[in-house]
Amino acid sequence: MQQMKASEKRNRKRPDGPDKVTGRLNYLTDLHFPNMLYGKIKRSAYPHARILSIYTEEAEQLPGVRAVVTFKDVPGLNAFGIVTPDQPVLCEDTVRYVGDAVAAVAADTKEIAEHACSLIAVEYDPLPVVDDPAKALDAGTPQLHPDGNLLHKAHFYKGDVDDAFYKCTEIIEETYQVPRQMHTYMETEGGVIVPEPDGTLTVYVGTQHGYKDRFQLSRILNLQEEKIRIVSSPMGGSFGGKDELNIQPYGALLALASGRPVKIHQTRQESVISGLKRHPMRITMKTGVAADGKIIAHRVDILADTGAYSTLGPAILEFAVEHSTGPYVIPNVKTEGVSVFTNNGVAGEFRGFGGNQVTFALEGQMDRLADRLDVDPLEFRRLNLRKRDEIGPIGQRIAPTDGAYQVLQSIKDHRQLKIKEENEMPDKWKVRGIGTAITMHGGGLGYGRLDPAGGRLCLKENGKIEAAFGFEEAGQGILGVIETIVTEELGCSVSDLSVVIGDTSLVPSSGSTTASRGTSMVWHALQKMNKPFRKLLIEKGEALTGVEAHRLQTGKIGLFVTADDGEEIPIITYEELAQQSTEEEMTISTNFDFPTTPDPIDSGHFLYTFGAVLAQVEVDLLTGKVKVIDLDQAIAAGPVVNYLGYKGQIEGGGVMSLGYTLLEDALMSEGEYMTQNLDAYLIPGIGDVPFTMKVEAIETLQEDDSYGPRGVGEIGSVAVAPAIAKAIQEAVGYWVRSLPVSSEEVLAEVSKRRVNPWTKAMQ
Amino acid sequence: MDKSDAVNVQTENVPVIDLNLTINENPVKLQVEPTARLVDILRDELQLTGTKISCGIGRCGACSVMIDGQLVNACLTMAYQADQTSITTIEGVSRDQEIDPIQKAFLEEGGFQCGYCTPGMVMAVKVLLEEVPVPTEEDIKMALSGNLCRCTGYGGIIRAVQRMAAENSEVR
Repeated sequence: MQQMKASEKRNRKRPDGPDKVTGRLNYLTDLHFPNMLYGKIKRSAYPHARILSIYTEEAEQLPGVRAVVTFKDVPGLNAFGIVTPDQPVLCEDTVRYVGDAVAAVAADTKEIAEHACSLIAVEYDPLPVVDDPAKALDAGTPQLHPDGNLLHKAHFYKGDVDDAFYKCTEIIEETYQVPRQMHTYMETEGGVIVPEPDGTLTVYVGTQHGYKDRFQLSRILNLQEEKIRIVSSPMGGSFGGKDELNIQPYGALLALASGRPVKIHQTRQESVISGLKRHPMRITMKTGVAADGKIIAHRVDILADTGAYSTLGPAILEFAVEHSTGPYVIPNVKTEGVSVFTNNGVAGEFRGFGGNQVTFALEGQMDRLADRLDVDPLEFRRLNLRKRDEIGPIGQRIAPTDGAYQVLQSIKDHRQLKIKEENEMPDKWKVRGIGTAITMHGGGLGYGRLDPAGGRLCLKENGKIEAAFGFEEAGQGILGVIETIVTEELGCSVSDLSVVIGDTSLVPSSGSTTASRGTSMVWHALQKMNKPFRKLLIEKGEALTGVEAHRLQTGKIGLFVTADDGEEIPIITYEELAQQSTEEEMTISTNFDFPTTPDPIDSGHFLYTFGAVLAQVEVDLLTGKVKVIDLDQAIAAGPVVNYLGYKGQIEGGGVMSLGYTLLEDALMSEGEYMTQNLDAYLIPGIGDVPFTMKVEAIETLQEDDSYGPRGVGEIGSVAVAPAIAKAIQEAVGYWVRSLPVSSEEVLAEVSKRRVNPWTKAMQ
Repeated sequence: MDKSDAVNVQTENVPVIDLNLTINENPVKLQVEPTARLVDILRDELQLTGTKISCGIGRCGACSVMIDGQLVNACLTMAYQADQTSITTIEGVSRDQEIDPIQKAFLEEGGFQCGYCTPGMVMAVKVLLEEVPVPTEEDIKMALSGNLCRCTGYGGIIRAVQRMAAENSEVR
């Protein structure tokens, strides 16, 4: 790739931008079709119950109702799940969470559909609710699935921790609790499902993996995959939350039953009740250091509450286990993770994928140990940090990297500057503190998982170079990434290019738009396609113009040659090339897999990104409220493709985790959601965030690194919580154990410690 | 949607009112239920889908429009309340393909990602800058406190507004 400074790229405007800022962009929930019906899903009245009967007659007879479906109307497999299909599309005999669907209605208007849902009578026999993950595996607890309540176990063992703890001079043991965060994409789940005259089905519903939706829907509908077209982009946010199926099966069943297009757009409340959340986890860590300040023993127990159905629970647990030692080298490790079924909603994929949870715990341990040893927390980290060629966290070889050291050094320098800044306290009842944390985060799905990627370049008849990828635009900026990388690699201009994504009828399979893999995979695809595609165009150019191939280059508008004086002389445009060519369209495509570790260690990652966070907080001693006034990050993820997009990912991920740390928890009581909309479930508003956030992009890779830019969709969200927690401790001495931070606990601790605000402010 | 069909069903039992209003400088006449939400009228009846719907309870600001120059949540506005008013939606902000300087600032400063909050955010900024051309940090926070964005962390939005403030202060 042409080396270009980040700052030079920062003004690249996103191709989807003009339509977004003007409101012209049609999201899939904005679509209207002739004869379109509105669908509503009737969900369970109980978090756990047996279904005795379902009566739909009255709903069916309501004027304006065009279709009512229940389990009886599912032609294929009545279940879904990206890996293990154990979630019923429409429940037949048992409901396991409040979002479980029992029926769906299509009607002329939303109001009629809603009314019809209320006319469907479901008789239940309520069952005891399993709402405490810690008790899920106890004898006597109701079994939610045929194999019981154990969803998955994962572990990593290395050395002998029990023995090593005897050699430790200091040991910290702590239990951390992290909440059920909601993705809160601004566009709730929805779209339109259209039955086509030829018997095929077009599904205009956002998802992060169109081909996977097609596969799952094919299985449910008993309809060949080729007869289903998934249009999956654009989306008004996803963050992992729309990777699993949501309303697609209901819309599809209703469209097939009514023979008409069906639109479903969930209300926020419906979205809260049915949608995925981040896994709540209870993480106990016992970490010990030897006399030389090196960590020699690390014992980790993770209990994850996946809720009612598997979705990606097992993979998330494995990711958490892998990342529970972070960027540190620890000779003796014993990590055990369990994820369990409960009646608490469904937890699944969410930006950070289990990494955010364990990083909060791990970095909490690092700060507590540094405090106990009375050493600088970053110096203590440096002492235990992985080196360039160190083996990966679960014993797998990884791409050599200095990222851990680079981000640590960068945030350390930044902290020096911050400490020196004149800090005039606004009033005597407020105190400030600075905290830092670091992390490493794997990209791609990991060893042993199908993780295919691919792409296609084609000179179309109209002279446009079409770049097609099976990715989706959820706001992360993949369109801008594709445009940047393709124009730079081919030398063509933006107006020569047409980018196509998110439509199974038009794009090749590129795997999922998840796991921070999109940017990386587009770059890899271009490394593979660039030369053959240029060769194809140049050979054709030679055949048509007689100019020797070795003199021709691809450039803006078309092929050119460089004269002896350096002048670029246009030879033939892409349009002429396409029109004068008698053959079919010139196409190059590629298929490959996300780079993975050569060692056969399941779920082990190969490409990691690194992040370091500095948070400064202001704690109100009268209310216990915490305000984040600085949230700055250093990121090492290889070359920046688009600085504006990069910065946006880090700032946005950072603030999302600020919410995780201080505000957000989809509270449940006995399997029912206590917060059902954005009046009670609070995400950060503009008043909650630092007015400026600094993002330092460290772009250098090892000299022999051939893997290019890494994705940064997740890394900015991973190490924020522990940095804020440490900043609170610096300010008032309170060690945060549970998220979101409780003002009451901060206040109680302030009172207990009799923190003298005058002294603190004077320092 | 099949309007005739839908309206027939609705009008069987439900009273309707005549609604006369101006939307983006065009006169609009409609017959709707008096309690129909403005956001549904805009999105479903008039297919002005630039106005978004997200929380439906006036908390997120995705449905922000201007009614007689004031910023209003269209999800909390009922049809009868919109009668005889002049409404500007995001579709009315950029006319004749010329984008508003606010939209240009959002575009160039990274003031959007998924774009779903963007129309409402642009409306809120527009109202702010019409009232306070050179807003302070506090002004910006106050004016945009009713508009939630989940993608950007507000960084790009703040930069966009600050750029507008800087441009406005130069003009003065």
